[in-house]
Amino acid sequence: MKRLIVLLGIVGFLGITASAQTETLIRNATVLTVTQGTLQNTDVLLRNGKIAAVGRNLKASANARVIDATGKFVMPGIVDCHSHSMLDTINEGTLAVTSMVRTRDVLNTTDVDLYRELAGGVTTLNLLHGSANPIGGLNTVVKIKYGRPASEFLFPGAMPGIKFALGENVKRSSTPNLPGVPRRYPNTRMGVEETIRDAFTRARDYKRTWDEYREAVKKDKNLMPPRRDLQLEPLVEVLEGKRYVHAHCYIASEILMLINIADEFGFKIKTFQHVLEGYKVAKEIAAHGAGASIFADSWGYKIEAYDAIPYNAAILTRAGVVVSMNSDSDERARRLNIEAAKAMHWGDLTEEQALKLVTLNPAIQLGIQERVGSIEVGKDADVAIWNGHPFSVYSRVDTTFIDGDVYFDREKDLARRPELAKERATLEQAEPNKPPARGQSPQTPRRRPSGHEDDAEVEKP
Amino acid sequence: MPKVRARLLVASLLLLLIVNPLNAQRSAIDTYAITNARIVTVSGPVIERGTVVIRNGLIAAAGANVNAPPDARVIDGAGLTVYPGLIDSYTNLALPEPAPGPSPGGGGGGGFFLLQQLQQQQRPPSGPNSTQPAGLQPEVMIEDVIRPGGTEIESWRSVGVTTALTSPRSGIWMGQSALINLSGDTPQQMIVRSPVAMHIGFTPLRTGAYPGSLMGVFSTLRQMMLDAQRYRDAMQIYERNPRGTRRPDTDRSLAALIPVLEGRMPVVMIANSEREINRALDLASEFKLKLIIAGGQEAEKVADRLAKQDVPVLLSLNLPRRTTAAMPEADPEPMRVLRERVEAQQTAGKLAKAGVKFGFQSGSMANASDLMSNANKTIENGLQPLDALRAFTIWPAEILGVKDQLGTIEVGKIANLTVTRGDLFDRNSRIAHVFIDGRPIDIRPPATGGPVVFGQGRNTLAGSWTVVINTAQGDRTISLTLQQEGERLTGSISGPLGAGEISNGSASNTGEVRFTVSVNVEGQTKEATFTGNLANNQIRGNVAIVGSAPGTFTATRPN
Repeated sequence: MKRLIVLLGIVGFLGITASAQTETLIRNATVLTVTQGTLQNTDVLLRNGKIAAVGRNLKASANARVIDATGKFVMPGIVDCHSHSMLDTINEGTLAVTSMVRTRDVLNTTDVDLYRELAGGVTTLNLLHGSANPIGGLNTVVKIKYGRPASEFLFPGAMPGIKFALGENVKRSSTPNLPGVPRRYPNTRMGVEETIRDAFTRARDYKRTWDEYREAVKKDKNLMPPRRDLQLEPLVEVLEGKRYVHAHCYIASEILMLINIADEFGFKIKTFQHVLEGYKVAKEIAAHGAGASIFADSWGYKIEAYDAIPYNAAILTRAGVVVSMNSDSDERARRLNIEAAKAMHWGDLTEEQALKLVTLNPAIQLGIQERVGSIEVGKDADVAIWNGHPFSVYSRVDTTFIDGDVYFDREKDLARRPELAKERATLEQAEPNKPPARGQSPQTPRRRPSGHEDDAEVEKP
Repeated sequence: MPKVRARLLVASLLLLLIVNPLNAQRSAIDTYAITNARIVTVSGPVIERGTVVIRNGLIAAAGANVNAPPDARVIDGAGLTVYPGLIDSYTNLALPEPAPGPSPGGGGGGGFFLLQQLQQQQRPPSGPNSTQPAGLQPEVMIEDVIRPGGTEIESWRSVGVTTALTSPRSGIWMGQSALINLSGDTPQQMIVRSPVAMHIGFTPLRTGAYPGSLMGVFSTLRQMMLDAQRYRDAMQIYERNPRGTRRPDTDRSLAALIPVLEGRMPVVMIANSEREINRALDLASEFKLKLIIAGGQEAEKVADRLAKQDVPVLLSLNLPRRTTAAMPEADPEPMRVLRERVEAQQTAGKLAKAGVKFGFQSGSMANASDLMSNANKTIENGLQPLDALRAFTIWPAEILGVKDQLGTIEVGKIANLTVTRGDLFDRNSRIAHVFIDGRPIDIRPPATGGPVVFGQGRNTLAGSWTVVINTAQGDRTISLTLQQEGERLTGSISGPLGAGEISNGSASNTGEVRFTVSVNVEGQTKEATFTGNLANNQIRGNVAIVGSAPGTFTATRPN
C-alpha cells in the first residue's frame, strides 16, 4: 500500500509538465517566423516566458536548457479559432438567445484532448459555445496549460467574445417533428434574423435605461438602479465594440443578412465561422472588416454545406479577408498544420500565407496578435519544435512550449510509458478497482461521434 | 353505550402498552444511567470506567466519579463504550416518496448517468405560488415534508447514527435542509435545527426548459442572486417609506436567498471532482457566500484552497468502486477512473492533515452497514481514528451550527448516545444501545453488507405488473409479466400497445431494470426500450420509443 501511495505521488507530480527553468536556447533550427520569413540555422532564445532573441550564435546563461535543433523546425504555437475541447457542456439549447451563459464556467482542465492538441503543436484555443441558437454563450480564449488550474489557462488580455449561429442548426432542421412537442422558435432563416434583431433592440433599450439611470442618479442618490440582465449585458458590450462576435454560418444570403443587422446596429462581426460559401461574398466580408475561420476541405455533411469549394481560403485571402483554419473537432485539432498545408495545394497560397492560417491570422481574430502568432522578439514563448517541416504529413512535434515552459515533450512521454503501465497494474489490483463477482456489463465507451462536422447538438460524455 | 366505548378504549390502550413497551417507558422513565462503561467524550480525554447519567433528554452527568441517581434505570455498561451519537451530515432520510436511491449528495458508485436518470424521475418538491419552476425554488423547506418512522431510519439508527442532515433530493436551488434526530413521533419532535443551510445542486433541469446545461445552471444561479440583491434593496426602500412608494411584487424565491447573500445561512453545494469544487468555490467567492462542500470525493486536491477559504466539507463515505463485471473484450478502464477510486479512500486522511474540517455523510449509500466499513477504509488509508470519530460527531456539529447541543458527551447536551460493545471502528464491534433525545431506541440488526440482491424474496421482479406509460400522446396502461433468473429478465406485455415478448431484459444488483419490447403505435410496429429503477415495489423510469418523443413509465404491482 505504501509503495502505491508513493507511486501515485510521483505521477501526480509529473502531471504538471511545466519546467522550473526560465531560460531555453533552441539552437540551429529552421525557424518559421511567419512574419519575417524562414530563417535557416537560427537560434531562438526563450527567457522568462518571452521570446528573448532570434538569431545566430546566441548566448544563453549557464543554467539555461540548450536544445540542439539541427535539422528541425521551430514554428509559433498553433492558434485554433474554433474549439470545444475542455468544455463539460457545449450547448445551452433551451432558448434562442443564451448570451448569459459562459464557457468559462465549465472548463475541464483534465480533458485528455488538450494533451493531444499540444502534441500537434497547438498552444491556444478559442473555446466557443455550440451552434444550437442564433445567439449563443460567451467564449473563452485559453492557452493549453495542461496540468495547471483553470485560472492559469485564461489568455490574458484576449478580447471577450460571443458565439452567434445561423442556418440549419439554429432553425433545428435536423430535429424531427414530434407530436405534442412544441418546436423552439425560430424555424426559418427569417426567424433567425428576427431573433437577432429583437435581441439587439432589447439590448439597445437596456443600454439606454442604464445610461439614463447613470445620469439621473447623479441628482437623486436614492434612485433604484435598473435590473441587471445577464442576457443583455454581453450584447451591450457587442454594441460598444468591447466583445467580438464569432458567427457560425454557411450560405451567402445569411452572411449578408448578418452584415446588414450589424451595420443597422453599428457593430462588427469579428469572424464568420465555417462560412462555406464565403467565397461568393468575399468582397462584402472584406468590406465589413470581418475575418473568416474555415475548414480546408470539409463539406457536404448537410444541405447548407453542399455549395463549398476547396479554394475558399485562397479566394477570401486574395479578397483581403483575414482567414484562419480551425478544427471545431478534438480530432482535427491535432493536425491543423496539415489543414493549413492544403491551402498551398488548393489555390496556391504561399507558404507564409498558409502558415498564417493557423498562427497569426487566428491570433488577429482573437485580438491576441501582439502576444502570439509569430516568432518575434518580445512575443510570448509559445512555440513548437517539429522534427520536419510542419506541412509534411511525416512531421511530428518534439516539444511544445507555452510561456517558455514545456507542456509536451515526446521523449519524456515515451520514457514515462513503462512507469504508467506499472501504475496501471498496481491500480487494477487495488481493492476498489477489482470487478465484483456479479456486476453490470462494462459500458461501451461513449465518445463524441468522430468526424462530426459542426457542433449543433453534440455533448461530451 | 358510552361505557362500552370506554372499556374498548381502555382495552386498546392496554394492548398498545403490551405491544409497544417502548411507548410505556417513554411516559414513565426519563432518567437513565450507564455505569461502568468506557466513555469517549470527544471533548476531553477518554474516561476508562465511568457513568453517564441521562435525564429529561439531556446529558445530566458524565465522569468516573458519577453515581447513578436512585430513580434512574441503570444499564450495566461493563464492556461497553459510550460515544456521542453519530451524525450523518447529508442524507435524504425521513423524506416521503420517491424511495431512497442515489442522490446528488453521493460520491456515487452508481454512475453519473444512472444518477441523472434518477433525478429526472424525482421531481423536486414545489412550493405554492412560486415565481420559479420546480428545481429553482430556494424557498422549499425540507421540514415541511419530513415524515417520522420508516425502515430506512431504523437501519441508520442500527449502525449508531442518531442525527442526520436531511435535504431535498434534487433541483438546482434544492431548498433548505433540516437537522433531525432519528426518533420522534412527529416531524416537530425530530427537528433539531431548521433551516440549516441552502442547498445547490448543479444538475440542469431536464424538462426542456432553461437551464438545460451546466453553463445555464451557473448563469441562472447568478441571475437569481443578482435579482435577490435588487429585491432586498427595493424592499428596504419600500419599508422605509411605504406611503408614496409603489410596492414591489413579493417574491418568496428571491426573499429566501437574502439570508444566503448576507452570509447568515450557509450554502451547501454538491461538488465531487476537483473542477466541481473549484467552480463552487469560485461562485461562492463571487457572491461572498458561506460555503459548505457536499460530496468532496476529490477535495484533497483542493485542500489548500478549502483550508485558506475556511470551507468545510460534508464528505461522502459512499466510496466509488468498480461495479462492472470482468469482461475481457471490454476496453480497459481509464487510468483516471482507476486512480480516482483509489484516491477517494485517502481523501479523508489528507483533508485532516491539511486542516480542512469535514463531517462524514453516507452519500445515499444503499446499505447503512457500509457506513462504518467505509469509514474503516479511510482509517486504513491515513485518517486517524480520533479524527474519524470527530468527523462523525463534533465536526459536523460545528459545521451545521449545533456544537452547543450535539457532538460530544458534555453536561447539558442532547442525550444522543451510541453505545458499542468493542471499539466503534473495530470490524467486530456491535452496537449495543442507541439513545436519542434521552430515550433508548430499539435496534434492529443491520442488514448484511453488500448490495441489495435482486431475485430473492420481495426483491424479485417476477410477477404481474401494471405499467402506466406517459408520452406526449397521453397515458396508456399495459400489463407486464416478468420472470427473473439472476440478472436476466424475461416476460411479455399485453394491452393497447399490442402483445409481445420482451428482449434484452436485465436487472442489475443496484436495482436498474432494462428491457426492450416491440409495441404497436398508430398501426406501426416500433421498438420501445424501458429503463428504470426498482424502489419500494415500484419501477419508475423512462421509455424510449424509436421515432417518438421519449416518455416515462411507472410499474406497480399488487401489495
